[in-house]
Amino acid sequence: MDHSSRSRPTRFAALLAVAALTATGCSSGDSADADGPVTLTVAGWSIATTPEFKLLAESFEKTNPDVTVEIKEYDAANYDTQMTADLSAGSAPDLYPIKCLCTFSTYQGGGQLLDVSDVAEGLDETVKTAVEPYTVDGASYAIPYREDGWYLFYNKDMFEQAKAELPNGQWTWDNFAQAAQQLSTADGADAGTYNHVWPSAVQGFANAQSANGYQDFLAGNFAFMEPFYQRALALQESGAAVDYNTATTNSLTYQSEFGTQKVPMMLMGSWYIGTLIAQQESGDAEKFEWGFAPAPQVDTSTLDAPVTFGGPTGMGINAGIDENKVAAAKEFLTYISGAEGASTLAEIGITPANTSETVAESLFSVEGVPTDELSRSTFTNHVIRPEVPVSENTATINTILTDAHTAIMSGSSDVTGALEKAKQEFGNQIGN
Amino acid sequence: MSLTDTRVTPDLRTPAAAGPGRRISFWRVLGYIALTVAAIGVLAPFFWMVLSSLKTNNNVFTVPIRWVPDWQFGNYVDIWTKSDMLTWVKNTLILSVVITFLQVLTGSFAAYGFSRLRWPGRDVLFLAYLATIAVPWQAYMIPQFILFSKLNLSNTLWAMVALQAFGAFGVFLMKQFYETVPEELSEAARLDGLSEYGIWRRIMLPLSIPAIASLTLLTFVNVWNDYLGPLIYLRDPDLWTIQIGLKTFIGQYNAQYALIMTGSVLSVLPIAIVFALGQKYFVQGIATTGIKG
Amino acid sequence: MALTKELRAARPPRPGALRRRNTLIGLSFVLPNFIGFAVLTLVPVLALFYLSFTDWNVFGRANWTGTANLERLLNDSSFWTALRNTLYYTGVHVPVTMALSLALALLLNTRLRGVRFFRTAAFFPYVTSIVAVAAVWNMMFSPDSGPINQLLAAAGIADPPGWTTSTDWSMPSVIIVGVWRDLGFYMLLFLAGLQTIPRELYEAATIDGAGAWQRFRHVTLPGLRPTTFFISVICTIGSLKVFDLILVMTQGGPGQSTLVLSQYIYQKGFVQNQFGYASSISVVLFLICVSVTLVQFLVNRRRNA
Repeated sequence: MDHSSRSRPTRFAALLAVAALTATGCSSGDSADADGPVTLTVAGWSIATTPEFKLLAESFEKTNPDVTVEIKEYDAANYDTQMTADLSAGSAPDLYPIKCLCTFSTYQGGGQLLDVSDVAEGLDETVKTAVEPYTVDGASYAIPYREDGWYLFYNKDMFEQAKAELPNGQWTWDNFAQAAQQLSTADGADAGTYNHVWPSAVQGFANAQSANGYQDFLAGNFAFMEPFYQRALALQESGAAVDYNTATTNSLTYQSEFGTQKVPMMLMGSWYIGTLIAQQESGDAEKFEWGFAPAPQVDTSTLDAPVTFGGPTGMGINAGIDENKVAAAKEFLTYISGAEGASTLAEIGITPANTSETVAESLFSVEGVPTDELSRSTFTNHVIRPEVPVSENTATINTILTDAHTAIMSGSSDVTGALEKAKQEFGNQIGN
Repeated sequence: MSLTDTRVTPDLRTPAAAGPGRRISFWRVLGYIALTVAAIGVLAPFFWMVLSSLKTNNNVFTVPIRWVPDWQFGNYVDIWTKSDMLTWVKNTLILSVVITFLQVLTGSFAAYGFSRLRWPGRDVLFLAYLATIAVPWQAYMIPQFILFSKLNLSNTLWAMVALQAFGAFGVFLMKQFYETVPEELSEAARLDGLSEYGIWRRIMLPLSIPAIASLTLLTFVNVWNDYLGPLIYLRDPDLWTIQIGLKTFIGQYNAQYALIMTGSVLSVLPIAIVFALGQKYFVQGIATTGIKG
Repeated sequence: MALTKELRAARPPRPGALRRRNTLIGLSFVLPNFIGFAVLTLVPVLALFYLSFTDWNVFGRANWTGTANLERLLNDSSFWTALRNTLYYTGVHVPVTMALSLALALLLNTRLRGVRFFRTAAFFPYVTSIVAVAAVWNMMFSPDSGPINQLLAAAGIADPPGWTTSTDWSMPSVIIVGVWRDLGFYMLLFLAGLQTIPRELYEAATIDGAGAWQRFRHVTLPGLRPTTFFISVICTIGSLKVFDLILVMTQGGPGQSTLVLSQYIYQKGFVQNQFGYASSISVVLFLICVSVTLVQFLVNRRRNA
């Protein structure tokens, strides 16, 4: 870069620098033969604590001896920052997971994902709905391999001690609130339930369980969230739920709240199944009987097929991938979303997008996973709707709603006012 | 105050040290009280860090704070056996030493050119330096990353060296300190036949030891604790620094806080040692080097 | 080196030649640092300036949009909130930090027993992991269970503030932690500055009958001027760019009560992928920094004159 020394330096140099910098490079340098051995690079995060990437890679290699899968490690908290940098410089791996639905549009709209509709077509029926968020104008750009729906985790021991009725899979939010109230006086309990500080813990349910949640979300009409916030506030004001301000200022973790028996029940994503088993084994969590039930519903009409929210985690192919690797990459996608890959995940307590009977069999035969009928039917019979609707504005709306969430839950603003302000902010940022 | 002050208290640099008899003890007591209160407030988070490193994960954050550890010394074993702490320490050490050396060397060298020599374009160049401090890094991070990638620098330790060794901070700091050195000293040296390089080497460097010591320490600490830079540039696990390595204890939904705190305690210790050993240089002034203006 | 030998020769060189020589020597001092700096930092920064007039989103082309970003900025209420918060933080953080760190440096420049320990301790906040710092301070600020409010309650204050959980008190809380964290850093720089003041000046002042305050006023402060100037510039720019502290303490909340410009830039760029717009916010932040610095330069020059 010797541009800076030319005459009329500043503007000229800036132009040249930009020309050089904004042109996107192509992906990896090493080209592969279409038939010979192929090496695929796949992004993953926190490998030491997230064994799924290695496991998928290894089991895939076993069935495809010609393909080597290399995991490139990323930072879990800053995954998108790193991936954005890598993609912009052309140094991203061949395949990368879409860690959050909210960033999918950025990658897809930026032309960084390969069309994988052909893989999507061959998916198991149970995966079909999870691929919808990744579908734009009829073409799919990522394949979900795991899907974490939110369940109601409950501590059977604490319920029994408090002589409370165990969840029966037929709860509405009112039943949930009553139970929380009753349990808040249980021995050693801080409260009846713990509502984690994430915005999604309220807004995810609002989006998924409201009649027009997704349309209203994208249109900036956030008033539909009001009942969900009123409920959350009522719970913490009555002492039935741990106070939001206590949780934020003390950096409370949900693993500790439920795992060390401070609350008898908690709504949480299904990833917590694997975590809780591991922590009970390592001693981080206390030993107690637990199970999970479907999330509470707004009314009785959805009790047969309870609706919850969740996030699929999809894997996409880098648009800059070497042409000769595409076939192998698609093979990998088919594998990880299929029954075999899903079982591999289920065996370590992860809930895959594929919830077919064989996969359920794998999950519930894991040592430590509750085997009661309710837990099992919770996994196989429920509707998981996406946490947020996918659109180019999702990330911006998320930011606006996060501000609203902290304002409401901390008690700095009333619900109506904060959601109204969010609506104004929506107009300001996105327009009407 | 009277003349006797000079006899009684030879160290007159600060008001707190001055004053005879009863006043000394009054100021002293006040000083000690202030310092002790401050020390408690200042060390509390560090103390908490140590406590947390001796707890199990789920006991790190509780209401109310538990000021009693679980005595989980296992964390201090685990961090060496279950993670690559040794590699991280090694990389962090290499980077800190190399970058600090280059930053201090080129910074103090350039500062001389900016403070003691008059030449056209000097002030413009210096302003360019200063101006870049004013641009937030996260704004030009991506253009810079693309540039580094084109230079084949990213994902090497060199990237970090290139990124941090040529900062404006060191130049500015040293320039300000050189300006406190009386110009007559340089003039005398020039008459004695010293070249500008010789003046820098033999006069300016020895006279700016406190400044060099603080620049060294501050650069060292900044490199040691840098997070965003290594996050973007060092992707290969063999290149990770402590700060990046500790982040691998944070997964998508879980974090091993006890291990993170263990690593943080371990990473503070070297700096504390460097500081404790090097601090005599911060308080070694012109007066004590024996050269008088 | 040959040039300087010539300089030493008795005959005075022509002014033009001297100028050229000085320029060459000056450049030779500056270049080792400047080349690295120019290529690796200045070029991307210039690119940023260009990008601030585009709709760049990292992946696509950067289309020139002229002043569109700027117009958008003027009507962006979040930007104004962030700007106001940033100025609030800077306006309080800078003077308080400077005054306290100077006081601390003076205290730690004495020969109190145990001063070495205190010097090390004072530097610890700057070294301690920021995650631990945020965790502990947030606990201390906890409205119900935190020690600060328990103390206030014990002192008879009926309605203690909500600190980080209240929109009115979140910024003061962050400032307190910011000052606390930066104290050691600036204390060290002041300490180094204090060493450059010749001891003879104090002796002379004492002989002239100057008291402690007068010595501080007429010897210490003027002697520290280059240091103070440096610190005021660095501290101001650092405060205007404050980022990681806010991120770990409050993430800009509750609501937007602690949203600052750097964080807004990060949100717009990395979260919402509007790098062109983020660049133009950076340019505004840059211009603010530069104008404040220029004012400081002018004030400094007038004082020196």
